[in-house]
Parts: sequence; structure tokens; C-alpha cells
Amino acid sequence: MMKSLDALALGPSECGLTEQRGDPSTLRVTEIAPDDRIIAFDAVGLWQYRGLLRVLILRDLKVLYRQTALGACWAIAQPLFTVLIFTVIFGHFAKIPTDGAPYALFAGSAVVLWTYFAEAVRRSANGLVAEAELIRKIYFPRLVIPLATVISPMVDFAIALAVMLALMVWYGVVPDWHLVLAVPTLIVTAMLALGVSLWLGPINVRFRDVKHTLPFLIQIWMYASPIVYASSIVPASVRWLYALNPMVGLIEAFRFAVLGGTPPDAFAITVSVTAAFVLLVSGLIFFQRMERSFADVI
Amino acid sequence: MSMAISVQDIGKQYWRAPRAAHQNSLRDALSEGVRGLLSRRSEARPARESFWALRDVSFGIKHGENVGIIGLNGAGKSTLLKLLSRIAAPTTGRIRLEGRVGALLEVGTGFHRELTGRENIFLYGSILGMGRQEIADKFDAIVAFSEIGDFIDTPVKRYSSGMYVRLAFSVAAHLEPDILLLDEVLAVGDYAFQRKCMDFAHRLQASGATILIVSHNMFSVKTMCKRVIYIKNGTVAYDGPVDAGLKIYEQDSYLSHPSWYRPEQSSQDFRITGVEIVDAAGEGKTVFSHGERMRIRMRYAADLPIHDANVSCSFTRADETHCCTFSTLLDAAPVPVITGTGTIELLTPPLRLTADDYRVSISVRRKGFDTIADAKIGARFHVQHPDLDPYIFGIFHEEGHWTFGR
Repeated sequence: MMKSLDALALGPSECGLTEQRGDPSTLRVTEIAPDDRIIAFDAVGLWQYRGLLRVLILRDLKVLYRQTALGACWAIAQPLFTVLIFTVIFGHFAKIPTDGAPYALFAGSAVVLWTYFAEAVRRSANGLVAEAELIRKIYFPRLVIPLATVISPMVDFAIALAVMLALMVWYGVVPDWHLVLAVPTLIVTAMLALGVSLWLGPINVRFRDVKHTLPFLIQIWMYASPIVYASSIVPASVRWLYALNPMVGLIEAFRFAVLGGTPPDAFAITVSVTAAFVLLVSGLIFFQRMERSFADVI
Repeated sequence: MSMAISVQDIGKQYWRAPRAAHQNSLRDALSEGVRGLLSRRSEARPARESFWALRDVSFGIKHGENVGIIGLNGAGKSTLLKLLSRIAAPTTGRIRLEGRVGALLEVGTGFHRELTGRENIFLYGSILGMGRQEIADKFDAIVAFSEIGDFIDTPVKRYSSGMYVRLAFSVAAHLEPDILLLDEVLAVGDYAFQRKCMDFAHRLQASGATILIVSHNMFSVKTMCKRVIYIKNGTVAYDGPVDAGLKIYEQDSYLSHPSWYRPEQSSQDFRITGVEIVDAAGEGKTVFSHGERMRIRMRYAADLPIHDANVSCSFTRADETHCCTFSTLLDAAPVPVITGTGTIELLTPPLRLTADDYRVSISVRRKGFDTIADAKIGARFHVQHPDLDPYIFGIFHEEGHWTFGR
């Protein structure tokens, strides 16, 4: 009896507590007070939790395809079948003009970027609610959640892009130096997705309507973007209105980066970049205003 | 000397139901907003009902001090802990914390069921604010402390609940905070692991950490803290030495409802109005010897008669372990119709409980519907015995008959 109890006692090394604490004057100080500043961005706090950002991204990647028979093949299968259906219906049956490119490549290049955007928005707008337990029980900068969910679908994006490039080789189309433009396009798309999510996420915490609206919104947004068709089929008189959709410029730019052809419209690109910046900055302000009450309402 | 925790006039205001319950969809918020625009008068909108979960709470805790936060359910203890750990923001006041803060409001939130134990150590460690290198350095110690062994590469969804909690606590225990905020988490796992956790907390205490424990568990508060802060209705009702604080708390908790009780389950037409403990001869007392019999007398007031009631009386040890229950249903005691006012008395068999503090709680259920008519926490008593330490002898002790063969 006594022996078994002794076995429970811990040596100091076992629990890692060997040293005495340091001088209190050198300790990190945290001040908590009601905050009504309009703009308060805690970059230092966010930096301290960069490890958590990394771990959450890794967790999303590990968990996503775990206990699935095909594993990461799903990252390929989804866009591949989407492109296949688009090619059959819009390419062969409806014979939508593509400015000369094979339809599969024309649609594929857009689907790769669009799938990233849609996934990033879907995951991060729902991310806060999905992590409700964490938010209720543990403190960390809440911004880590939308950041992680905007970054993690980039891996699927990379896989899909690789498949896209393989498809191009199959069709005998070789990308040129324009391909480097894919990088800034992806970055602006990620900023836009983050900006949208920084607005939708906190609203979703308060009103779960967002969860129901989102699939619908994403679908409409997809048809309002030049994915299955070229923006050249939009009548010139309303083209400016059409280009107010920030994804128009981004998809055109990405398609240009991958396939070459007509360069994207300068006005559309300006709209995309401006929208991304405006949504991101206003989203950050909105998010930090709302995050202090997350634990109370989620 | 500077304070590890200084809390100045903090308050937390919450908005109660109508708003929270009915305005959770966007449509309601929009229609509310439109109505507000149209009528422009503030009285046209239902007044938002607010309440203060905490109000004007101030205290200071020195470096290395260990303080227990006690209070009845809903008094504001958990709210206080949420404010201190930055999970929720205070409505008023200021909090200043010196040092690395580790807050454990619940063990294991943040674990992902699909991930292995190894992956979860890194995940949970990061969530608690540990760096990657720090987790890697402590990894072996965490695994050893958790006693998980070879299961470390198994997804945690295959773990038993005990293993899950042990692994989670082990990660948390290696956080090495300067200030540790604990909410009831010591009451997890089996008894041996609980003891290990207590040892750990003592060691953390010895190394000079500041610990704040929120607990119903008088036992852990008593062993860990010299000072308690008693929160009552959102304000500090007592702040001082532990014994006097616990006494006030016990007086207040007498005839309060147990934590599992939900008032909507019952109408108010039956009330337990008193519970007292006397010895077999009828003398009131609170300290009993092991082996002594006890009478528990309950007074009631019934506005409507209760037929075939099921009356039960439970003993709960100070560490919230439910030890035993006497029940008229199980003991097949004849129960007359309960009506008007009266008393019900239970004479226990000789008490075989080990030496510790216990609490009596009484519940009366309506048979057939099995709804609760009332449930109350009654008096407390202490069992005395020179040798029967609950750490060694468990919950009860009875003589056995030993035979030695060769």
C-alpha cells in the first residue's frame, strides 16, 4: 500500500520545475481594461502566438483528409471533376467562346483560383463558430483563426495548380514567364478572402444566418465571375459594372498568368486590389471591435 | 512589494434573454432595427434587460500567494476567472497581471479527436501559449507524467476519458506559469491521478508561483490556500483567512440548491425548510466518530399533497465525491402522503465513512413522474478516526476477516 503511494510522488525533474522564479520586476505585465478605441491592432500579441497559427494550419491539413480512403486525392478530385463537367456542358454543349484556349484549360485555370477563394472564405467565415469551445475556454488572439483558415487551403491550391500544369502539358500548352504573376494574384486573392471573412466571421458569431447564406452567396459569386465564360461575352455597356466584382480582375489575371492570351483589364485589376485593401483594413478594425465579446455571445 | 494580480473595481455586465434569445437571427435584428428607425422613440423598443455578473470587485494578490475563490453556483466565480484569463473583456475596471499567465478553465479544450496524442501535445501546448521548442523540450516529461505510454501515437478519439484528461492535464501542468488560474480542474481523473495533480500544484506553489483556484471543493481550497475570496451575488463578500471564509460560505450554502438542481423542473408547492443532524440520542452535533449512528431530520412545507414520494439523502465528501445515498424507494420504506408541514427523519446505520468532511443533501421526488419536488444542501458533518485517512483507506472502511494459509 505505502509503496504504491510512494511511487506516485514526483521527482522534481519529472515535472520540469527545477528553478525558482525570477525577480518579479522582470516579469511580463498584462493590463486588462475595457477598450473603446476605434483602432487597436495588437501585432505584438499576434506575433507571440505565431506558433499557434502554425499548429492550427498543420492541424487543418492533417485532419482534413484523415480517415478518408483517397486522402489528399480529394484535393485533386474536386476541381478535376468540376472542370470535367464544365468542359462537357459549357465547352462542348453550349460552345462558350474561350478566346482560343482549349476549354478545359480555360475553365481549369479559373477553377483553381476560385476553389481556393471559395474554400478560404467558407472555412474562415465558419472558423470562429467551429472553434466556439476554444473561444469560450482559452485566451489567444482570435485573429489567429481566420488567418489559419485562409492560409491552409493554399496547400490544396498548390496541388490543384500542379495538376493544372500537368493538364497543360497534356494539351501541349507551355506556360511562359507570365506564370510568376500567379503569386501576386494569389496574395491579393488571399487578402480579399481574409477581408471578406473578417466581416462575415464575427457576424456569424452573432447571427448564424451567415452559415446558411454563405453557400448560396459563393455560388452566385461564382457565376458572377468569369469562370465558365470569358468576361468578353459581357456586353461592353455593363462591363464596368461587371468589373466591380473584385474576383473578375483576379481570375482574369490568374488565367493570363497561366495561359497567357489577353492581358487583364486595368480597371478590373484596380478594383480587385482596392477592394482587397479596403476590405482587409476595415475587416481588421471590425474584427478587433467585435472579438472582445466573442466569448460572451458565441 | 508589487502584486502578481491586482484587480480594481471590475464589473461585467451581461444582456439577459429577450435580446439574447429572440434576436439571434439576422431577420429579427433587421426588423428590430427598422422598427427602431420608424418609431424613433426609445420606449417603443423593449428595454434591454441587463444584469451584472460581477460588480465593483477589487483585490490584490501578492507574488507566490495562493488564493481560493469560492461561491455558490452563479455567484460570478467563473466570470471572474474568464476576465482574469482575458477570455472575456470586463465592462468596467482594470486588471493588472505580472508574469506569464496559465489559465485552465477546462482541461482538454483544443484537443482534436482525429489527431494522435503526440500531435495533440503540440496543438494543445501551442493553444496554451507554449512555444514549439518549449513543447519539444518538455515532450518526454509530459508523456511520462500522463502515463499514456505506447498510446502516444494513437488518435485521442480511441482514448478512454481518463487517458484523455491525463494527457491534457500533463500538457497544462508543464506550462510553468507565473500565475496559474484553475477552475475545478483538479477534480478530474481517478484518485491516484488527482493526488498526482495536487502534488504538482504544491510543487508549483513551492517554486513561488501565484495560484488562484476557483472551486466548490472545500478540500482542495483548504489544502492549497491560506486565503479565500468569497464571491456572493457578484461582489466580494469575504476576503481573508481560509477557515473563517469557509465557515461563512458553509452557513450560506446551507439550504441552497445543489449544482444539478434546475428550478424549472419543479413548481414551488413543496419546500424543504430545514435539515439538521443529531446523534442517535437526539443531541445536535457535527463531529461524529467512525461507527456512530446519525439521525438526519428534515422539515418540509407542502402546499399540495405528494403521494408516493421518493425521499433520498446523500453524503458527499468535501472533494465532491458522492459517497452514498439512502432512499425510501430502495429501502422499501412505507411513505405516507406528504402534506402540510412535518418532519422526515432518517436513522443511519453505523457510519463506516473514513475520516473527512461530508455534506448532507436531501431530495424529494414525485414517484411516477419522477420530477423533483425539491432538493437542498443540508448540514455538514465531520467523521473522526485516528487512522482512517481517505488517501489510504478510500471512502469507507469495514472490518474484514483474515485467514492465513500455508
